[in-house]
Amino acid sequence: MTRIVAVHSFRGGTGKSNTTANVAVMAARRGLRVGVVDTDIQSPGIHVLLGVDQTTITRSLNDYLWGRCAIAETAVDVTDALDPTLEGRVVLIPSSIDASDIARVMHDGYDVGLLHEGIGSLITSLSLDLLLLDTHPGLNEETLLSIAVADTVAILLRPDQQDYEGTSVTVSVARKLKVPDMFLVVNKTPAAFDPADVRRRMHETYDCEVAAVIPHSDDLMAFSSSGVFVLAQPGHRLTTLYGELATRVIG
Amino acid sequence: MSTVAAHLLVVDDDPINRRLLAGYLEREGHTVATANDGLAGWGLVQQEPFDVVLLDVLMPELDGYDVLARIRGHAALRHLPVIMISSVEEMDSIVRCIELGADDYLPKPFSPVLLRARIRAGLARKRLHDLEREYLEQVGHVVDAATAVEAGTFVLGSLTAVAARDDALGNLARVFQHMAHEVAARERVLQEQVRELRIEIDEGKAARQVAEITGTDYFRDLQRKAEELRAAR
Repeated sequence: MTRIVAVHSFRGGTGKSNTTANVAVMAARRGLRVGVVDTDIQSPGIHVLLGVDQTTITRSLNDYLWGRCAIAETAVDVTDALDPTLEGRVVLIPSSIDASDIARVMHDGYDVGLLHEGIGSLITSLSLDLLLLDTHPGLNEETLLSIAVADTVAILLRPDQQDYEGTSVTVSVARKLKVPDMFLVVNKTPAAFDPADVRRRMHETYDCEVAAVIPHSDDLMAFSSSGVFVLAQPGHRLTTLYGELATRVIG
Repeated sequence: MSTVAAHLLVVDDDPINRRLLAGYLEREGHTVATANDGLAGWGLVQQEPFDVVLLDVLMPELDGYDVLARIRGHAALRHLPVIMISSVEEMDSIVRCIELGADDYLPKPFSPVLLRARIRAGLARKRLHDLEREYLEQVGHVVDAATAVEAGTFVLGSLTAVAARDDALGNLARVFQHMAHEVAARERVLQEQVRELRIEIDEGKAARQVAEITGTDYFRDLQRKAEELRAAR
């Protein structure tokens, strides 16, 4: 069965889109057909990491939600642009970057049934093995929708006092939505911290599985948002960690 | 009464004068080296650490002017007290020597009282200069320590010698050392705190936020729909 994973964080800047893109590529490397839906309708961005020129986006998730097209028509296969040797596929469902589209969807919202229906149709028509939902930070209605339709919620946080409380809120809300599977990804961990200690304390605090403790990396920061890190640095220790995270996500 | 014992050099080509002066100074408790011309005197001055030099003006090889000029031109000897020896008739040459940097003069024939006073004054000048040099050196240590603190290379205890002084500089070094110690200790504590991950959550505030999100009709509706959709999948 296709797994639907919502990648979420309470605050911005945790590395959500970066983690989503890297996990998507690691899963495709193992032959999986991976869909990435940019449900961050307010501030879309993952298309940049996946190498999609925004001017070439003709149809977006917004068009589907407004009944203008079928969801599969919005899909952009980015595999060849990323790495033609990937065994699987990476397909992006982008969000519109048009300001009026963003304003409209924020004003009108959209229906959970419609998003769920679209996801189902996408999985079938594109024969997807894994669907990753890149969400907007915080817990607005659109983000709650993404969490509600997911089988798994991956919550990203930094080991930072400002992230702790929000993560606790997200964990509680996701539990109330009866998300079947949930785990934490501790990202941008300073070198001074012992990863095993971070894992143990996070687990104790949230009573939630910690799937990965990813260290802060100057290499990743320098790479910035110019692409997918695991493709540029296949031998890097972060690539190994993203591979392990992909294993957990695939299940 | 004798001054503190010192190491003195007598440079004079007249053997009687030399012996007279050396004998007198030795009886005063000093150690004395002698040279019978300017060149030998200049050689000795560079080899041994003297406290005061008694220098005749008219000598073969190298005269008193030349020796004096060399001493004053030498970085390490520049501050060595030099007392010129001359007869009263040579007043012009004494003026020239003072202009060249001589500290004092001693007229021949020697008066023991005057000789003792001049030696004492020369030694006092030397001591004052040594103290000043040591003081400046130690000020330099404090300045270096400040630079080291800024660069993060300060070694605790590196100012102990300066801190042992019982004057204002010693006090400055003690306070400085104490403050550097405090700063280092505080930094250590801070680093330990950073290394030790602390997760503090205001449970009440988090619960209020959860209630705010989950208490709406929208959320209850979403909860119900999510359950239905999962059951149908």
